[in-house]
Amino acid sequence: MNSILELKDVSYVYSKGTPFEKVALDKVNIAFEKGKITGLIGHTGSGKSTLVGLLNGLNKPTEGTVFLDGVDIWEKPKEISRVRYRVGLVMQYPEYQLFDETVREDIAFAPKNLGLDDVEIEARVRDAASFAGIGEELLDKSPFDLSGGQKRRAAIAGIIAMRPDVLVLDEPAAGLDPRGRSEILGSLRKYADDSSASVILVSHSMEDMAHYCDNVVVMADGRIHSSGTVDEIFSVAEKLSKIGLDVPSVSKIVSALAARGIDLKGKLYTVEGVKDAILEYIKEVNK
Amino acid sequence: MISDITLGQFFPGYSPIHKLDPRTKIILATAFIVAVFMANNPVSFLLLTLGALVLVAVSRLSFKVVFKGIKPIILILLFTALINVFMTSGEGTPLFELGIIKIYTEGIVRAVFMAVRVVILIIGTSVLLTYTTSPISLTDGIESLLSPLKKIGVPVHTFAMMMSIALRFIPTLVEETEKIMNAQKSRGADFTSGSLVNRAKALIPLLIPLFVSSFKRAEELATAMECRCYRGDKNRTKLVKLEYKGRDILWFLIFAAALAILILTTVLPYNLDISGQIYEIVFYQI
Amino acid sequence: MNDYIIKTESLNFVYDDEDSDIVKQATSPALSDVSLSIKRGEYVAILGHNGSGKSTFAKLLNMILTPTSGKIYIDGVDITSESFSEDDMFDIRRKIGMVFQNPDNQLVATVVEEDVAFGPENLGLPREEIRRRVNSALSVVGMTDYARHAPHKLSGGQKQRIAIAGILAMKPDIIIFDESTAMLDPMGRRDIVAIMERLNREEGITILNITHYMEEAARADRVVVINDGRVVLDGSARDVFSEVSYLHSIGLEAPQGNELIDELRSAGLDISGDGLTPDEATETLFKFLSRKN
Repeated sequence: MNSILELKDVSYVYSKGTPFEKVALDKVNIAFEKGKITGLIGHTGSGKSTLVGLLNGLNKPTEGTVFLDGVDIWEKPKEISRVRYRVGLVMQYPEYQLFDETVREDIAFAPKNLGLDDVEIEARVRDAASFAGIGEELLDKSPFDLSGGQKRRAAIAGIIAMRPDVLVLDEPAAGLDPRGRSEILGSLRKYADDSSASVILVSHSMEDMAHYCDNVVVMADGRIHSSGTVDEIFSVAEKLSKIGLDVPSVSKIVSALAARGIDLKGKLYTVEGVKDAILEYIKEVNK
Repeated sequence: MISDITLGQFFPGYSPIHKLDPRTKIILATAFIVAVFMANNPVSFLLLTLGALVLVAVSRLSFKVVFKGIKPIILILLFTALINVFMTSGEGTPLFELGIIKIYTEGIVRAVFMAVRVVILIIGTSVLLTYTTSPISLTDGIESLLSPLKKIGVPVHTFAMMMSIALRFIPTLVEETEKIMNAQKSRGADFTSGSLVNRAKALIPLLIPLFVSSFKRAEELATAMECRCYRGDKNRTKLVKLEYKGRDILWFLIFAAALAILILTTVLPYNLDISGQIYEIVFYQI
Repeated sequence: MNDYIIKTESLNFVYDDEDSDIVKQATSPALSDVSLSIKRGEYVAILGHNGSGKSTFAKLLNMILTPTSGKIYIDGVDITSESFSEDDMFDIRRKIGMVFQNPDNQLVATVVEEDVAFGPENLGLPREEIRRRVNSALSVVGMTDYARHAPHKLSGGQKQRIAIAGILAMKPDIIIFDESTAMLDPMGRRDIVAIMERLNREEGITILNITHYMEEAARADRVVVINDGRVVLDGSARDVFSEVSYLHSIGLEAPQGNELIDELRSAGLDISGDGLTPDEATETLFKFLSRKN
C-alpha cells in the first residue's frame, strides 16, 4: 500500500488525571493512501474531530505514534510546524480564519510563513485560487466582501497554497447549499490526482462519502468501527444504520427492493449507480 | 489551556449560598473584603481562613475547583511575596544575611500575611459571588443595588445588560480564540516565539478574525433580542424577583457576628513581634 | 380570526445606493414581487440556495427590515401601514417567533431557564406566569433537566432547542426557522425538525422552515421555492419536487428517490408515480419493474 500518513495505536485522553478525564480515541490504527480521497465519518463525539487535530500536530497523542512518510511527527517537537505545512488542515467553518486586506494576501499567508520567494508565492496563490474556484477578479477584493461560499473557498485556497501532501478537510461543506457543496467537494478529486496527495474528508453525510470518496473510515466511540473502500463499506450499509448513521436514501430504496425480490447489482449507493443497476436489471430480465 | 481557568466562572448549584439573594451576596462580599483588610494578626487570619473554608464547604463547590481558581495568580503572588521578604527591614538581627540581602522575620511574616490575604480574598469573593451567582443574577443584584441612581439619569439597566451579555459571551470568545489560533497555526503562524515586535505582529491574524466575528455576533444577537421583544427596561418584568428572605437575614446576622469577633481579635494585644515569635517557633519545629 | 395568518402583496425589497450597508446587503439580498398567503396552522418550507432572498422574506415579516414597497398583513393587520406604532410592532414580534442559524448568537443568558424567560420578561408578564411558561416551554423541547445548566456547555442541537423554548415562552402563533438546522449535525437536525413538526401538529403553530436542505423541505405540507428574490415554485412537496431538472437549474436538489426516477425517465423508461420518500420510490419502482417481468 502506498500510504503517506499512518496512525499506530493512537490514543487521546482529554483532561488526563482529572475527574473530567475522557478517552476520545482508543488505540486507533489507520493509514491514508496517496492519491486517494478517504472519508472519515461518525457522530459528533465519535472522536473524529479529535483525530483531525492529531493529524497535523495541533495536538499530541497521549499514546501511540503518527507517522508522516514513515517518520514520527513528534520526533522533534520544535519542528512540528513543518508537519503542519505538509499536512494541510482546513478546519470547520474555515472562513473565520480570513484576516488580510485582500484575498491574494490572505492566500499568501501560509506560503509567506513557509519562507518562499515572491515569484513562488505568486504562483502558488494563483494555483490554489484556481483549484478552489476563486476567480482572478476576486483576488484583489477584501475577503470580507465575498459571499459565504466564496469565503469558504478562499480559506481552503489558503491551505492548498501550502501544497500539502495530505489535505484534511473538516466538514468543508457544512451549511452550504447543494451548489456550494458540489463546487467544493468536486474540486478535491482534482487535487488528489494532480498532486498525488492524500485527501481526508470529514463529513456527516453518507451521500458525500458515497459520491466523492474512494475509501471510508467509520468511527464510533473513539474507535474505528469499520474501514474499507466505498464499495466494501456500503455493501454492509445496514451495519451503519445500526450505529445511527444515515444511509443514503437510494441505498434504502435498493434494500427495500431486495426485500421484495428485486436484486440489483453494482454501485448501489449513488443515484447514478442505482440507475445503471436498474437499467442492467431490465436488460437481464428482457433477455 | 485557556479553558482551564475557573476564576470568574459560574458553577450552577443549589447550595445555601447559591440560594442567597445576589444583593445579600454583594453586601456580604463587601463585608468580607473589609474583614480581610482589617485582619492583622495570626488569630484574625486564622479566623478568616476558617471562615473562607466554611464558605467553600457550604457552597458545595469542590475544593479542587476553588484552588484551581487561584492557580493563575500564583506566580504574581510568589513574586510579590518575594519582594516583601527581601525589601522589608525589621528590628533585631536578620534571620538570614548574604551581602546586602537581609531577611528579617518581619519580612517573612508580612509576605505570608500578604499571600494569605490575597488568597482568602479571592476565595471568599469568588465563592460568594462569581462561582455561586449566575452572572445574570449578579448583574440583577448590582442593578437593584444601584437603582437609586436611575433617578439621577444613570442608565443602570443598560449597563447591567451590557455586563451580563459580556459575561455570557466570554466562554464563547475563549473557544473562538482557540479555534482561530489553531486555524492560523495550521497555516504556519507562530504565536510563541520571535521578538516582541514579531509576536505582536503574529497576533494580527488572530485579532482581526476575532473582531470580525464578534461584530457579526453582536449584530445577530441584537436582532435575536429584538425578535424577542427586547426594548430596554420599559415594561420589563423578571423571572427571578429579588426578595430578601429569612435566610438572607440569617446570613447577615452570622456575618455581623463573625465580623464582630474578627474586629475583637484585631485589637487583641498582638503585635508583629509576638506573631514573629510564633512563626519562629513554628519554623524551628520544622 | 383571519384565515391567512400571513399575507403579502407584491412585496419588494431593494437597497437604494445611499443606504448600502455592506453587512446588511450580504445578509439580506433583494426580493421582488413576492405575493404569498400562508394559512393558520400550515407547515411551509421556504427553499432556496444561499443568497436567494429567502431569509430576507423572514426579516420583513417580523419588521427587522422594512419593505421598499408592497403590503404585509399579519393576522389581518397591515404592518406596513403608516399608522403602525412601535407598540404594535412588539405585538407582531411576539406573534412571530424567529429561530436563527447560529445557536450561540441568540442565547442571552448564562443559565438556560433565565434565557427562556428573556422573552416573557420583555413582555412584562407577571412572575408566576413567566415561571409557568418557562417550565412548559422547556418540557415541550425536552430540556427540563437542563434548566439550571449553562448554555455554552450544551451541544448545538441542545442550544437550538433552548432557543426554540425561548420563542415558545412568548406563545407565538408562527415560528420561523431561519436556517436553524444549517449548523447542526444530523442528529441535532433530526431533533429540531421533529420539534417543528410536533409544534405544528400538537400546538397548531404555523411553521415556516427556511432551509436549503431538500430532505427537510420534503417533509413540509407546502414548499415555496425562492430564486433570485422571486417565488418560482409554490405547491405541495410532491408537486415541487417532481420538477427535478428545474430544481437542478437553480442549484437545488430533489430527494434521491425523485432524482433516481427522473434519471430513469431520461434514460427512456416510462415510469409513472413519485419518489418523494424512499418508501414511495420503492413502491413506484417495484410496480414498474414487476410489470416488466
